[in-house]
Amino acid sequence: MIQSHDPRMNRLGLSDAPAAAVAKEALDQFGTYEVFHQKKEGAPYVYVGPVHAPEADVAFLFAKEQYSRRFACTGLWVVPTAAITVTAYVGDQESAYDTLPLVTSHKEPAPDASSPGTSAPAAERTVVEAGEAGETDYDIFHLKKRGKAHQHVGQVRASSPGHALQVAKAAFGEQRPVVNVWAARSADFLRSDAEDRDIWATTPEKKYRDAIAYKVQDRIEKFKAENS
Amino acid sequence: MYGSASTHDLPTTAATGLENEDPILLAEFEARIARGEKIEPNDWMPALYRKQLIRMIEQHAHSEIIGSLPEGTWITRAPGFRRKMAQMAKVQDEVGHAQLLYSAAETLGKTREQMLTDLINGKSKYSNVFNYPTPTWADSNVISWLIDAGAIVNQLANAKGSYGPYCRALDRICAEEAFHLKYGHDAVVHMATGTPIQRQMMQAALNRWWPAIMTFFGPSDKMSVHTEILMRWKVKMASNDECRNQFLDMYVPKIWEIGLTLPDPNLRKNEETGQWEFTEPDWEDFKRVINGDGPCNAERIAVRRAAEENGAWVRRALRTPKTQYVRPLA
Repeated sequence: MIQSHDPRMNRLGLSDAPAAAVAKEALDQFGTYEVFHQKKEGAPYVYVGPVHAPEADVAFLFAKEQYSRRFACTGLWVVPTAAITVTAYVGDQESAYDTLPLVTSHKEPAPDASSPGTSAPAAERTVVEAGEAGETDYDIFHLKKRGKAHQHVGQVRASSPGHALQVAKAAFGEQRPVVNVWAARSADFLRSDAEDRDIWATTPEKKYRDAIAYKVQDRIEKFKAENS
Repeated sequence: MYGSASTHDLPTTAATGLENEDPILLAEFEARIARGEKIEPNDWMPALYRKQLIRMIEQHAHSEIIGSLPEGTWITRAPGFRRKMAQMAKVQDEVGHAQLLYSAAETLGKTREQMLTDLINGKSKYSNVFNYPTPTWADSNVISWLIDAGAIVNQLANAKGSYGPYCRALDRICAEEAFHLKYGHDAVVHMATGTPIQRQMMQAALNRWWPAIMTFFGPSDKMSVHTEILMRWKVKMASNDECRNQFLDMYVPKIWEIGLTLPDPNLRKNEETGQWEFTEPDWEDFKRVINGDGPCNAERIAVRRAAEENGAWVRRALRTPKTQYVRPLA
């Protein structure tokens, strides 16, 4: 049995014999969701990173723990990774909208969605016309600089992800630089509710989690004074 | 913040595989980095860049998970309610850092399942200092202060590296480190300026940990291959020796000012060169321990493995059959 300094480890009674190799099954860690947070009321939602979760509710819970535990947060969105359509990434001075195919009249090829699982299926590719039936809302995010985080710029109505990017180009294409664009159906997001805003209340009494609570210099000075 | 930038199993051959890369794409890639632009997951990248980053970020993630074990041990026995709460908050931060880092590595194409499999089978490395025990509360304080401090030196350097997802993760991680460093410093100062017994206990822990701390940044870069190319690609941002010297510069005076000593009679700063001189760490012993023969290697892996196995039924119950694996985006 493994002998530890920690009595709790010893209670586990772990064998010290070499263990047989094990392999985790695929999806043991679930699929992924991408998370966006809002730092303060009225600020745009900004990408913070992914979480692994079996479903949206659990993803939200993990996201709250992972991304709002230590920083001010007033809202959180989660969306399955696979629900996001990604354009090509361009240089820091360019616009990813310039890589979208030019739309002349009809069949519009999908953008260069080189990220896995994010290209719109061919059947969904669409004609750019306003006010079509079957249109739905899409949320659009821009990456302004490589290494920074995608930021929400607004919603557009469109009939497919590819269409959404074209509409976004018309709506937000003047903004520069745009290194990369994400588009995802608004209905695919799980969003925190304004009514539930008290879940974001911080606990000011938990001072021990802040650097400022440790007045270490006072103690050092006192020690030096006593020993000089 | 337990990461040490040096990966402990660097390739031992000089082969970079660069001759197999498309020269035009390679030139564009290098030009982008030279311009100061970050690389994002969908960009073309040389196989060596991808491989080295996966190795580095994955080892960093494992170090966060395994590093939380010797400190976690002390949560229930930390002296006083406030310290228990603070220790718990710190350990929770560290485990959170692992989540961020696993995701950053995952954008490069290695799944979290594969990384965890390699960890619990003892195939992956993590920071070697966590193969040593924390027999007293003072040992835990040494980790909280000085191992964290060493990791921060590395992480601040790496946050300026070229890979976007790693930079984003490190920015978040570094923001949380301020508390860890202050908390650890406060704990050490409390003991060192306390009763004679507390002071002795602190000194003994520091003596135990110093040799491991001196190996934290890895062997001198003269001993590793590819350093030059990895620095050009901004995978490695500072040499191991530079990091070690910076750490000594920042922390040895802080250790001395509270009346503690360090168990190396050769430790001194050469004011002419600005470099610290010290007794060369025992790299043979380092190699032996990192390859499995340290005091706690078996325990660390066994504990992690037991946690994985005990939680397996929950994950199986939660799994949804329709889920398709997609690499996280950024």
